[in-house]
Amino acid sequence: MRPERMAGLVARWVRFYTRDLPAPIAQRRADEIDADLHDHIAHDRAAGIGERRIALGIASRLVRGLAADAAWRSRQARAGVGNPLSRSVIRVALGVALVLSLPLIGMLVSDDVVWGPGDFVAAGVLLATIGVALELAARRAGNLAAAIGIAALGVAAALVGAADDAPGLVLLGILLIVSACALGVRTAHRSR
Amino acid sequence: MPRRKPGTLLPLEAEILETALSLLRSGYATFHGFGLAQTMREQSGSRSLTAHGTLYKALSRLEEFGLLTSRWEDAAAVEGRPRRRLYELTSRGVQVAETAVADKASARPRRLASEPA
Repeated sequence: MRPERMAGLVARWVRFYTRDLPAPIAQRRADEIDADLHDHIAHDRAAGIGERRIALGIASRLVRGLAADAAWRSRQARAGVGNPLSRSVIRVALGVALVLSLPLIGMLVSDDVVWGPGDFVAAGVLLATIGVALELAARRAGNLAAAIGIAALGVAAALVGAADDAPGLVLLGILLIVSACALGVRTAHRSR
Repeated sequence: MPRRKPGTLLPLEAEILETALSLLRSGYATFHGFGLAQTMREQSGSRSLTAHGTLYKALSRLEEFGLLTSRWEDAAAVEGRPRRRLYELTSRGVQVAETAVADKASARPRRLASEPA
C-alpha cells in the first residue's frame, strides 16, 4: 500500500471521529493531521525509507492513537455542543407534550374522547419512560438490538391494544414502532 | 493510558514540554506536530513516532492548561504543502517545563507550576 493511500485512510478516520463536532474544532484537527501526514511521508521518503514501511508507520500511529482519538472526541463533544443531558430532557419533554396534546385536542373537538387528569398523568409517565429509554438507546451508535427490542414492544402493545379494544395502547404501539424504525435508520446511517 | 493525579502532568505531557524547552533553547521557539514527534523519537531513542491521537490530544490538553499557545503558520511560508499548526511554550509553560526537567532528575511527579504539589 502506498503511503498516500494510508494517509487517506487516516483522513477518513479523522472525518469520522470529528463528525457532529463544531466545524472549527473538526477542521482544525483534520488540517493538523493532514499537515502531519504530509510531513511524515516527505521526511521518511527523504530519509530513503521504503514506501511499504512508511505506510506501516502511518498505520501504526493511527492504530495506537485510536483510544486517544475517541477520548478526545468525547471531551470535545461534552465541552463544545452543550449539555447532552439537558438536550435529551428537552426532547423527551417535547415528545410527551406533543403526544399528550392529541387527546387534549380530541377532548376539545369530540365528546367521544374523555380523559381525566389521572389518564394524562399515567400516559405522561409512560411516555416519559419510553422517551428516556429511546434516548439511552439512541446514544449508543450501532445499537440495533435496542431498535429491535423497541419494535417488538411496539408490536406487542399494538396487538394487545387491538385485542382489548384500547386505541390508546394501539397508538402507543405505533409510536414505538415508528421510533424503532427511526432508531434503526440512524444506527444504519452511523455505521456507514 | 496512565491516570492523571490532580496537579500533575502525564508522562507524555511532561515529555512534550521538555522537548519544547530543548527546542526553545536550541533557537526554535515554535514547533509543529510531526516535528515534535520526530524530535521526541530522536531524544528517546524510540523506534516509533507518537501516535496521532495521543500526540494531538496531549497538545490540546497542554493548551487548555495554558502551557502552550498555537496558531496556523503564515500562508506565505507553506509552499504547496498543508499548513502547519505552530505551537509555542508560554512563560508558564517554560516554568513548568523547567520544573519537569528538574523533577525528572530527582524522579518526582511532574507538577503544574502554580498548583500545590
